[in-house]
Amino acid sequence: MLRYDNYFIPKTLKEYFDLTSKIKDCRIVAGCTDILPWAREGRGGDVFLKNVVDVSRIKELNVFKFGSKKVLLGAATNYQKLFLDKKIRKSLKVLPQVSVWFADDQIRELATIGGNIVNASPAGDGMPAFLTLNTKVTVASLKNKKIIKQKMPLEKFVKGRNKVALKNNDLLVDLEVENTDGYGACFEKVGHRRSLVISTVCVSSLVKLNKNKFQDVRIAVGGVCEVPTRLTKTEKFLKGKSIDENNIYAASMLDLDVIQSRSRREYRKEVLQNFIIRSILKSLGKNNVEEVIQKFDNKVELEMESAHV
Amino acid sequence: MSNMELNLVVNGKKIKKSTQSHYRLLDFLREDLDLTGTKEGCGAGECGTCSVFINGKLVKSCLVPAAKADGAKIETVEGMGNPEKMSEIQKAFCATGASQCGFCIPGMVMAATSTLRNNPKANIEQIKEEMGGNICRCTGYQKIFDAVEMARDVINKEKSEKVFDEYEKPANSFIGANVKRIDAPSKVTGRLKYAADMKMPNMLHMQVLRSDRPHAKILSIDLSKAKKIEGVRGIVTCDDVPGVDNFGVFIEDQPVLAKDKVRYVGEAIVAVAADTLEQAKDAVNAIKIKYKDLPALYDPEEALKEKILIHEHYKTNLVKHIPIRKGNTEEAFKKADLIIEDEFSTQPVEHAYLEPMAGVSYVDQDGVLTIVSPSQNITHHRHMMAKIMNLPIHKVRFIMSPVGGGFGGKEDMIYQGMLALLATKTRQPIKYVMTREEDIVSTAKRHPSRTKYKMGLTKEGKILAVEISMLADGGAYGCSTEGVMRKAAILGAGPYNIENLKMDTRGVYTNNTPSGAFRSFGALQTEFATESMLDIAAEKLNMDPFEIRRINAFVKGNLTHTKQELNSASINTVLNELEKLASWEKGSPQSRGNSRKDTFSKDNRDACELGARLKTNGNGKRAIR
Repeated sequence: MLRYDNYFIPKTLKEYFDLTSKIKDCRIVAGCTDILPWAREGRGGDVFLKNVVDVSRIKELNVFKFGSKKVLLGAATNYQKLFLDKKIRKSLKVLPQVSVWFADDQIRELATIGGNIVNASPAGDGMPAFLTLNTKVTVASLKNKKIIKQKMPLEKFVKGRNKVALKNNDLLVDLEVENTDGYGACFEKVGHRRSLVISTVCVSSLVKLNKNKFQDVRIAVGGVCEVPTRLTKTEKFLKGKSIDENNIYAASMLDLDVIQSRSRREYRKEVLQNFIIRSILKSLGKNNVEEVIQKFDNKVELEMESAHV
Repeated sequence: MSNMELNLVVNGKKIKKSTQSHYRLLDFLREDLDLTGTKEGCGAGECGTCSVFINGKLVKSCLVPAAKADGAKIETVEGMGNPEKMSEIQKAFCATGASQCGFCIPGMVMAATSTLRNNPKANIEQIKEEMGGNICRCTGYQKIFDAVEMARDVINKEKSEKVFDEYEKPANSFIGANVKRIDAPSKVTGRLKYAADMKMPNMLHMQVLRSDRPHAKILSIDLSKAKKIEGVRGIVTCDDVPGVDNFGVFIEDQPVLAKDKVRYVGEAIVAVAADTLEQAKDAVNAIKIKYKDLPALYDPEEALKEKILIHEHYKTNLVKHIPIRKGNTEEAFKKADLIIEDEFSTQPVEHAYLEPMAGVSYVDQDGVLTIVSPSQNITHHRHMMAKIMNLPIHKVRFIMSPVGGGFGGKEDMIYQGMLALLATKTRQPIKYVMTREEDIVSTAKRHPSRTKYKMGLTKEGKILAVEISMLADGGAYGCSTEGVMRKAAILGAGPYNIENLKMDTRGVYTNNTPSGAFRSFGALQTEFATESMLDIAAEKLNMDPFEIRRINAFVKGNLTHTKQELNSASINTVLNELEKLASWEKGSPQSRGNSRKDTFSKDNRDACELGARLKTNGNGKRAIR
C-alpha cells in the first residue's frame, strides 16, 4: 500500500521549483502507473512517503509543437496521444505502433513518455522507439534560484538500468524528436498478454529509401540489455546498400551479441534476429517495395502486414 | 494520516468531501462515497474491474491517486443506469447472459461504454482491442463481445430494442433454453454487494501476518509493539482458539492460525483487527516473530521417502492413496500387440477468480456468530466452525455472499476462522479483504501431478490393460487432496472399457502452497494422461484418433473402472457430434500437420500478433510467424 501525507500538483516549472526547494523528502510522479503497482506485497511492500509531487500537469511538460524537421513532445504527453494523434500517425509512425503494444487504452491515458524514460527500465518500450527518432531531451534544473534548461541526446540521458542524468529535483521537460515523415516504421514486441506485457524482446525500426537502396536505416532494441540501444553495425551495413534479401539477412546477424539477459538467451537471440528482419521488411512495406518483400516472403515465409497502422 | 479536500462531480452530483491524502480514486469512490460498483480485483492495473471515466476518458481507478481527480468529472457504473433504467449496453449484457459471477462486469460495462462512445461503429476486432484491458474469468468473453455488438446495433438503430427481450420460454426443460438471469440487472449496474462491498456500523478491519518461511518452528511471537498502535482492538493467535483447532474439506488438519510451526509461505500466524485498514496494517508490520528454520520438502517424490515429516503426528507424509484393481494387467500385457509407456506432469494452477477472498463477521444480538463470505461450502464450514469455536451448531450462522468466481478455490475455510475469533473477541463486526497477492500466496491451487502410464493394446486398437500411477503434491495441508485423489483414480482411465486396470493415485504433504479443489477435481490430471496415450497409440497404430476412442468407448452393459454396471453410455454420441462440429478430417495423426500442408498456409493461421510463433523452414532456419 502506498501512503503519503501530501500530494502536490504544480502547474508550471516555476511552481515546481518553488515547491521542491521548500519541501524535503519528495517523490516525483507523473502517470503513477508504475508506483502504485510497485508499492504492494512482493515488490515495494508498504511504502510511506512524506510528499508526492505530481508533474503531469506542468504546462511546460505538456507542450506539443509540430515542425517539419523537429517535433517537440512534452514529457507529460501520454501514450494514448501518441496512439491517436493524426499528425503523429502520419509523420512519427513508429510511436503509434509502440503505443498499441504499450499496456491498454486505459493505462495509456495515464502513462507518460517522460515517466517511461525516467524509469529507465531495460524493458521500457518507449526507449527503443525514441532512440530511432534521434531524440534529444531537455532537462530543467535550479541553479542559483534560476531555472536552467539543458539539452542532451537521449543516449546520454539514460545511463543504466534505472539510472538517468537527473540530480536533486531536476526535471525531464520535453523530448525533441526528428520528424520522420517519409520513413517506413515498425515496432515489434514479444511477451505474454498484449494489454499488459513486459517485453522479452522489442525492436523499433525506421527505414528510408532512395530508389532501390537503403538511404537511412535505424534500429533499436529493448528488453535484452541494461539500456535499450541502437544496432549500429546493422544500420551501417545496410546504409547505401541495395534492398535485397541477402543484404537484410546478412545485416540481421551483426548485432546479436548485444543480448545481455541472463535468462532465455538463445530464445532471445533467435527472436531478435527474426524481429530485425521482420521490422525492416515491415518498414519497407510502407514504402511500396512489395516485390522485395515478396522475394523475402518466399524465402523465410514471413507475414508482412503491419496490423496496426 | 493527513487529509485533503476534494471537489469533484461524480455521476452528475457535485461532491465536496474530505478524504485521506493517500487514497486512490478507487478507495475514495468505494470507502467515502459507497460507490461499490467499482471493484478491486488486483489493485495493480491488470484486471479492469475498477474502470471509471475521468473527464470522459476511461482509466483504471486503482492507478489514480484521488488527488488527481480533484476538479474532475467522474462517471462510475452507478452513473450508467440502474436496474430499473439500464443503458442499452447494460440491457445487452443481460440479454446475452454476459454476466456470470458478475465481478468483472461493472468494469466491462464501462469499457464497452468507452468503446462505443469513442467509435459507435466499432467492429468486433476494434471492440476486442479496446476492451483488452479488462479481464473476465467466467465467460470466455464471447457473450461479452456478443453484448457489445448487440448494443452497438441497437444504438445505431440497425436492430430494434426488442432483441433485449428475446428470451425463450422453456417448454419442458430449462436445458438448452436461453433463460433470463434474474440477477443480471443487479450485476450489470454494479448494485450487487459482494463481501468486500459490505459495511457495518463500528466495523473493524482485519489484516493478517503471514509466514515468509516454508517450514519453520515458531519460537516466539512478540505482540507488544502491535498492541500499542492506535486503533488496534484485537489481536489473535492460535492460543485464542477455544475449540478443536482444525479444518479442511476432507481431512481436518489445518489450524486457523499456525500452531507451533509454519508449513508454507503465506500461512497465517497472527490476525489483527483495528479501526482502520491502515492501523491494522501498521500493527501487522510491528509484530516480531522468531523462527527456527526446518529443512523443507518441495518435491513429492522426496516426501514419499519420509525423511522430513510435515505433520509429525501422522508419522507419514502420505495424505491418501487410492488403489483400484480390476482384472489382471500382468497377464493382459502379455497378449498385447503394442505396449506404450510414458510419463506426464501437470503444474499448479491458480483459480484466478476476479473477486479476491473477502468476508464480514459479527456476533448478533442473540449471540449467534455470523460469517458472511463467498464460500462455496457453507454447510460444511458451519459444522467445522462450531467445533473450532466450541459453540453449539445453532449459535453459528454462515451467509453466502455473491461469489465473484470460485472454480473450487472458495471451498476451503481459509480465513473465516480468523474472522470468527476476532468478532468474538472484540464484539464488533470485522471485515477482511485479501489483496490479490495475498490471495495467490495463501489459497489452494490445482494439484501438480506426475503420472506414470503403461497401456497395452491389440493391433486393432482395443485397450487390453492399463496401469496408471499418479503422484500429486498436496502441499502443506490436506484440504481436498483425499477427494481429488479419489476422483483422479475413479475417472482417470477415461470413459473407456478397460478390462484390466491397475490404478494408484497418491497425494502427499510438502511445504508447497496447499493444493485443493479446482474444476474437474483431479480427473483432469489423469485423464490428460489417458487422452495423450490414446493419441500416441493412434499414431503408432496408424489409426484415426476418433476411431481408436470409439473402439474403446463405454457402451451399455460395460463395467466402470470401479465395476459398476452401466445402464446407459453417451460417449459415442458425444464423439460423433464432436467429430462433426470440428470438421474433422479422418486419418491417423501422422497424416496431419506439416506434411498435410495446410498448417501455416495463408488460410488457416494468421501471424500471431500476441507473441512470436516459431517455425522451422525447409533450410533448417527458424523464423517467427
